[in-house]
Amino acid sequence: MGSEVITVSTDTKFVHLAWQREEKMLENVKYPMGADPTGNLSRMFGVYDEQTGLALRGTFIISPEGKILNSEVNFYNMGRNIDELMRKFKANLHLSKHTDEGCPSKWKEEGDKTLKPSAKLVGRVYEALK
Amino acid sequence: MSENCCDLKVRQIVPNFKLDIFDPSKGDFGEISLETQKANKKWTILFFYPADFTFV
Repeated sequence: MGSEVITVSTDTKFVHLAWQREEKMLENVKYPMGADPTGNLSRMFGVYDEQTGLALRGTFIISPEGKILNSEVNFYNMGRNIDELMRKFKANLHLSKHTDEGCPSKWKEEGDKTLKPSAKLVGRVYEALK
Repeated sequence: MSENCCDLKVRQIVPNFKLDIFDPSKGDFGEISLETQKANKKWTILFFYPADFTFV
Protein backbone atom coordinates (compact mmCIF):
# COMPACT_ATOMS: atom_id res chain seq x y z
CA MET A 1 0.00 0.00 0.00
CA GLY A 2 3.07 2.25 0.20
CA SER A 3 2.27 3.51 3.65
CA GLU A 4 3.63 3.35 7.14
CA VAL A 5 1.88 3.77 10.47
CA ILE A 6 4.16 5.21 13.12
CA THR A 7 2.90 5.32 16.68
CA VAL A 8 4.34 8.13 18.80
CA SER A 9 4.39 8.88 22.51
CA THR A 10 6.71 10.89 24.75
CA ASP A 11 8.18 7.65 26.13
CA THR A 12 11.72 6.65 25.14
CA LYS A 13 12.50 3.83 22.70
CA PHE A 14 13.66 1.75 25.67
CA VAL A 15 10.23 1.94 27.29
CA HIS A 16 8.63 1.12 23.92
CA LEU A 17 10.74 -2.04 23.77
CA ALA A 18 9.87 -3.01 27.34
CA TRP A 19 6.16 -2.41 26.80
CA GLN A 20 6.01 -4.32 23.52
CA ARG A 21 7.89 -7.24 25.10
CA GLU A 22 5.73 -7.28 28.22
CA GLU A 23 2.21 -6.64 26.95
CA LYS A 24 0.59 -9.70 25.33
CA MET A 25 -1.82 -7.51 23.38
CA LEU A 26 1.17 -6.06 21.51
CA GLU A 27 2.90 -9.30 20.61
CA ASN A 28 1.83 -9.10 16.94
CA VAL A 29 2.59 -5.41 16.56
CA LYS A 30 4.78 -4.66 13.53
CA TYR A 31 4.65 -0.88 13.17
CA PRO A 32 7.57 1.27 14.28
CA MET A 33 7.09 2.89 17.70
CA GLY A 34 8.40 6.46 17.65
CA ALA A 35 9.99 8.07 20.70
CA ASP A 36 9.38 11.77 21.33
CA PRO A 37 10.75 12.35 24.87
CA THR A 38 11.37 16.06 24.16
CA GLY A 39 7.79 16.52 22.97
CA ASN A 40 9.09 18.38 19.90
CA LEU A 41 7.17 16.33 17.35
CA SER A 42 4.04 16.39 19.51
CA ARG A 43 4.29 20.19 19.70
CA MET A 44 4.75 20.40 15.94
CA PHE A 45 1.38 18.70 15.54
CA GLY A 46 -0.29 20.61 18.36
CA VAL A 47 -0.99 17.54 20.52
CA TYR A 48 1.51 18.18 23.34
CA ASP A 49 -0.07 18.75 26.75
CA GLU A 50 2.30 21.08 28.65
CA GLN A 51 0.63 20.26 31.97
CA THR A 52 1.32 16.53 31.80
CA GLY A 53 4.17 16.18 29.30
CA LEU A 54 2.02 13.69 27.37
CA ALA A 55 0.60 13.65 23.86
CA LEU A 56 -3.13 13.70 23.19
CA ARG A 57 -4.62 11.00 20.94
CA GLY A 58 -3.89 12.66 17.62
CA THR A 59 -3.91 11.00 14.19
CA PHE A 60 -2.46 12.62 11.08
CA ILE A 61 -2.40 11.31 7.51
CA ILE A 62 0.53 12.74 5.55
CA SER A 63 0.79 12.35 1.76
CA PRO A 64 4.01 11.22 0.02
CA GLU A 65 4.51 14.94 -0.76
CA GLY A 66 4.53 15.72 2.96
CA LYS A 67 1.14 17.42 3.14
CA ILE A 68 -1.32 16.84 5.99
CA LEU A 69 -4.64 15.66 4.54
CA ASN A 70 -6.47 14.54 7.69
CA SER A 71 -6.18 15.26 11.36
CA GLU A 72 -8.15 14.01 14.32
CA VAL A 73 -7.38 14.77 17.96
CA ASN A 74 -9.12 13.13 20.90
CA PHE A 75 -8.72 13.77 24.62
CA TYR A 76 -7.04 11.08 26.76
CA ASN A 77 -10.21 9.20 27.59
CA MET A 78 -11.54 8.68 24.04
CA GLY A 79 -10.27 5.86 21.84
CA ARG A 80 -10.07 6.03 18.06
CA ASN A 81 -11.91 3.92 15.50
CA ILE A 82 -9.35 2.13 13.32
CA ASP A 83 -11.97 1.31 10.66
CA GLU A 84 -12.60 5.02 10.23
CA LEU A 85 -8.87 5.71 10.02
CA MET A 86 -8.51 3.06 7.29
CA ARG A 87 -11.54 4.49 5.48
CA LYS A 88 -9.95 7.92 5.43
CA PHE A 89 -6.63 6.50 4.30
CA LYS A 90 -8.19 4.51 1.44
CA ALA A 91 -10.23 7.55 0.42
CA ASN A 92 -7.06 9.65 0.30
CA LEU A 93 -5.37 7.05 -1.89
CA HIS A 94 -8.34 7.07 -4.25
CA LEU A 95 -8.55 10.88 -4.35
CA SER A 96 -4.83 11.21 -5.03
CA LYS A 97 -5.42 9.32 -8.29
CA HIS A 98 -8.82 10.88 -9.09
CA THR A 99 -8.34 14.52 -8.28
CA ASP A 100 -11.67 15.64 -9.79
CA GLU A 101 -13.71 13.45 -7.43
CA GLY A 102 -14.89 13.71 -3.83
CA CYS A 103 -15.52 10.86 -1.39
CA PRO A 104 -18.86 11.20 0.41
CA SER A 105 -19.26 10.24 4.06
CA LYS A 106 -20.60 6.77 3.25
CA TRP A 107 -17.66 5.93 0.94
CA LYS A 108 -15.96 2.84 2.36
CA GLU A 109 -13.77 1.28 -0.29
CA GLU A 110 -12.67 1.28 -3.91
CA GLY A 111 -15.74 0.82 -6.14
CA ASP A 112 -18.10 2.80 -3.89
CA LYS A 113 -19.76 5.85 -5.41
CA THR A 114 -17.85 9.11 -5.49
CA LEU A 115 -19.07 12.57 -6.46
CA LYS A 116 -17.78 14.86 -9.17
CA PRO A 117 -18.52 18.45 -8.18
CA SER A 118 -20.18 20.28 -11.08
CA ALA A 119 -23.13 22.54 -11.87
CA LYS A 120 -25.20 19.40 -12.59
CA LEU A 121 -24.65 18.15 -9.05
CA VAL A 122 -25.96 21.26 -7.30
CA GLY A 123 -29.10 20.26 -5.42
CA ARG A 124 -28.88 16.73 -6.89
CA VAL A 125 -26.54 14.95 -4.46
CA TYR A 126 -29.32 12.60 -3.32
CA GLU A 127 -29.95 11.41 -6.89
CA ALA A 128 -26.21 11.11 -7.62
CA LEU A 129 -25.69 8.81 -4.66
CA LYS A 130 -28.70 6.57 -5.40
CA MET B 1 11.04 29.69 13.70
CA SER B 2 9.44 28.69 10.42
CA GLU B 3 5.72 29.20 9.94
CA ASN B 4 5.32 25.43 10.08
CA CYS B 5 6.97 25.10 13.47
CA CYS B 6 3.95 24.05 15.48
CA ASP B 7 0.27 23.32 15.63
CA LEU B 8 0.31 22.10 12.04
CA LYS B 9 -3.04 21.90 10.32
CA VAL B 10 -4.64 20.15 7.36
CA ARG B 11 -3.17 21.22 3.99
CA GLN B 12 0.11 22.42 5.53
CA ILE B 13 3.43 20.86 4.53
CA VAL B 14 5.16 19.01 7.36
CA PRO B 15 8.79 20.05 7.88
CA ASN B 16 11.23 17.16 7.79
CA PHE B 17 11.66 15.41 11.13
CA LYS B 18 13.62 12.48 12.54
CA LEU B 19 12.44 10.13 15.22
CA ASP B 20 14.15 7.41 17.25
CA ILE B 21 12.09 4.25 17.01
CA PHE B 22 11.78 0.78 18.42
CA ASP B 23 10.93 -1.49 15.49
CA PRO B 24 9.07 -4.59 16.74
CA SER B 25 9.37 -6.29 13.34
CA LYS B 26 13.16 -6.32 13.74
CA GLY B 27 13.27 -6.32 17.54
CA ASP B 28 15.74 -3.47 17.28
CA PHE B 29 16.12 0.28 17.61
CA GLY B 30 16.34 2.53 14.57
CA GLU B 31 15.51 5.91 13.14
CA ILE B 32 12.77 7.07 10.83
CA SER B 33 12.60 10.36 8.96
CA LEU B 34 9.92 12.06 6.92
CA GLU B 35 12.52 12.78 4.27
CA THR B 36 13.05 9.03 3.73
CA GLN B 37 9.31 8.42 3.66
CA LYS B 38 8.93 11.07 0.97
CA ALA B 39 11.90 9.73 -1.02
CA ASN B 40 10.23 6.28 -0.97
CA LYS B 41 6.89 7.83 -2.05
CA LYS B 42 5.26 6.53 1.11
CA TRP B 43 2.22 7.78 2.96
CA THR B 44 2.82 8.37 6.66
CA ILE B 45 0.22 7.96 9.36
CA LEU B 46 1.28 9.42 12.70
CA PHE B 47 -0.63 7.94 15.62
CA PHE B 48 0.03 9.85 18.86
CA TYR B 49 -1.01 8.42 22.24
CA PRO B 50 -0.34 9.51 25.83
CA ALA B 51 1.87 6.80 27.30
CA ASP B 52 3.12 3.23 27.13
CA PHE B 53 1.68 0.76 29.64
CA THR B 54 -1.75 2.39 29.42
CA PHE B 55 -4.74 1.37 27.29
CA VAL B 56 -4.61 2.42 23.64
